[in-house]
Amino acid sequence: MMNNKMPATNGFIRKNAVLSGLMVISPVIVCGNTVMNALAFIYAFSAITFLSVAAGSFVPKKIPYGLRIIIYAVLGSLAYIPVKEAAEMFFPGVIERIGIYFMLIAVNSLITVQSEVKFYKYKKGKMLVSVMSHILGFDLVMLVVSAIRELLAYGTFCGRIVDAEVLISGLGMPFGGFIFLGLICGIYRWIVPGGKADEDFGGDRDVYNF
Amino acid sequence: MQNKTKSQRLIWIDIMMTLLTLAVMNFFYCGVRAIVLGLICMAVSFVSDIISLRLMHRRFTSDDLTCISDSLILYLMLPAIMDYRIAAIACVFATVAAKNVFGGRKNMIFSPAAAGYVFLFTSWKGNLLMYSQPHVHPDIFERAENLVNSASSMFNTTGRLNYNDFEILMGNVPGAVGTVSILLLAVSAIILLLRRDISVGAFFGTILGTAIFAFLVPVSTNPVDSLKYTLSMNMVLFSAIYIISDKRIAPRRNYYAFFYGFFIALFSYILVITTAKENAIVIVSLLFTPVALGFRNLEKRIDGLVKEEKQAEELWEAIKSGEYEIPEAVYDE
Amino acid sequence: MFIISEIVALLTTNLILTQALGTSTLFIAAGSRKNLLWTAVSISVFTTIGSFGACLLDSMLPDSLYDLKMLFYVLIIGMLYIISLTVLYFADRKDFGTTRKYIHVSAFNCAVMGTLFTISENAEAANLTMLDYICAGAEAGAGFILAAFVFTAAFKSLNSENVPSSFRGFPAALIYLGIISMAIYALM
Repeated sequence: MMNNKMPATNGFIRKNAVLSGLMVISPVIVCGNTVMNALAFIYAFSAITFLSVAAGSFVPKKIPYGLRIIIYAVLGSLAYIPVKEAAEMFFPGVIERIGIYFMLIAVNSLITVQSEVKFYKYKKGKMLVSVMSHILGFDLVMLVVSAIRELLAYGTFCGRIVDAEVLISGLGMPFGGFIFLGLICGIYRWIVPGGKADEDFGGDRDVYNF
Repeated sequence: MQNKTKSQRLIWIDIMMTLLTLAVMNFFYCGVRAIVLGLICMAVSFVSDIISLRLMHRRFTSDDLTCISDSLILYLMLPAIMDYRIAAIACVFATVAAKNVFGGRKNMIFSPAAAGYVFLFTSWKGNLLMYSQPHVHPDIFERAENLVNSASSMFNTTGRLNYNDFEILMGNVPGAVGTVSILLLAVSAIILLLRRDISVGAFFGTILGTAIFAFLVPVSTNPVDSLKYTLSMNMVLFSAIYIISDKRIAPRRNYYAFFYGFFIALFSYILVITTAKENAIVIVSLLFTPVALGFRNLEKRIDGLVKEEKQAEELWEAIKSGEYEIPEAVYDE
Repeated sequence: MFIISEIVALLTTNLILTQALGTSTLFIAAGSRKNLLWTAVSISVFTTIGSFGACLLDSMLPDSLYDLKMLFYVLIIGMLYIISLTVLYFADRKDFGTTRKYIHVSAFNCAVMGTLFTISENAEAANLTMLDYICAGAEAGAGFILAAFVFTAAFKSLNSENVPSSFRGFPAALIYLGIISMAIYALM
């Protein structure tokens, strides 16, 4: 069960959502191949997740679990609409490149299933800090992964050409994302003490115990 | 245990000897550049293996020299004119990402050479599939010029080859020299099979599978030509010896290994005739890794059950003959 | 030859191996073979029936309400979620406590929602019928089951004591799936 005495800022490094928690992997693998894609995704992910989790914290716990999950997903879908409008204004063309992954943010596991396990056990203030730390942790991973992948795969950084002689185009593909993320995750666990998930397979036990 | 280690080392020596012979052929056709490329591949694999083993807090022993044979296998699949940096990156990938990340030689999941080749195929396809003509000896630092498609590519697209049988046997065709020297490969196969250095079941499964389908569903108008060319092109023979029949990867029981090789052959042949995919057998052998792992898990389970049964039988015999006394506590229960 | 073409099609359009959708769910369910199998089956049910609902919605939704598509898909899956929990409760009351978790994990995840959106995008270009939608949903589910088998085969090796501790589990599994995905990409 969730240890309520864990620092709320753990989500940034020590219990990073991607590298430690095995969550929200697909956007990092598929969309995290250029910095511009990553920035657009980060903006959308941060806004939708924060708004949805904050709004979801007001859902009464008396409502059955199944209905609560549906409500969280609906809140995510509602938060998606204004965020998408703003993304079209600030990042034109990126939504087409990211495709369905932009819409899938609304049902990411931090909003639907993990919110009850990770956030709603805290009081409101600590909950918001925890949400922010998890979001920032994801953002950091997405930025680092996309920057390195763009550099090595396309020889550019933020769309600007960098003088790179040998390019590994496979690194820009989903399989390159899988392999690169796996290597980064291994290095992260080697460096960060306690960075390993309590149980990699089987995930957070609470997900299966409801 | 000691016998097992000794036999693994002998296997490695045999495989190295056959690979070095192919490397000499490579030098004959492509000159000094081929040797330099081979040395770079071996050196890079060696260094990356040492570094990754150190990071894993393991000592580099003589058994870890399998990284050299893996890099040689990968090298023999490359064109001699391949950029050294690209070849080096592929060797690092094969050694680190495809082997050592999973625990190295003690827990082999993928064939490192196959993984390295497919990595090159997906990232540098243009560089990988263009070759210099045989007996054109490029300079060590020469840029690639006047390159041609391989004989396999010609066969896949037209169903014919404009080379006589002698040229095909001697490898005097455009392609990765290590994989088109059919006579040498055939001799290597015989030696390695007789010395049980490679999986007999997997090898025959691959060759028979390819032969049967090449005859029944021929690429060329003449089934005999189809059979001949199919076996000598697209790295079929080379992969059958060094990748599919690798004892570290293939199922241990010949019965399972045969079907493993057979289905790889079937799958890759169909890819060749439907999509003209060059060297499809290497890609398919990588895709069939879960099948090989599944067979190995099944074999372990069977071995475990057989061992348990044997122990139960021995215990029963011991009880019957009075050698073993059942503890009184059991009677009390 | 038809069977092999179908297998190649299942691999090249596979949710997990080519689009990385449902990877987290796969890892969560991989703790035991039973969990993995039943999660894969319930995801297949959701993708198949969900695609039927998506087809109905796509035919009725006007272009002006396109931004609300996400919301309506969530509501469709939500209804399916409630119905499946209800059906499971009445069909197997004794084991409901243990079996409901498969529905909980399968309902709102990227694999199911991603399938609906992928089919919907393809439908716009290719003018798909109801049967095409359902077949595409079933194919996505079958692809998830195939990926689950691919993963199960290597499960013991990926968690072996020989794997370096920092790579044991999730990192090695990602690299394993990446290499398989690389081979599939080479086929395309």
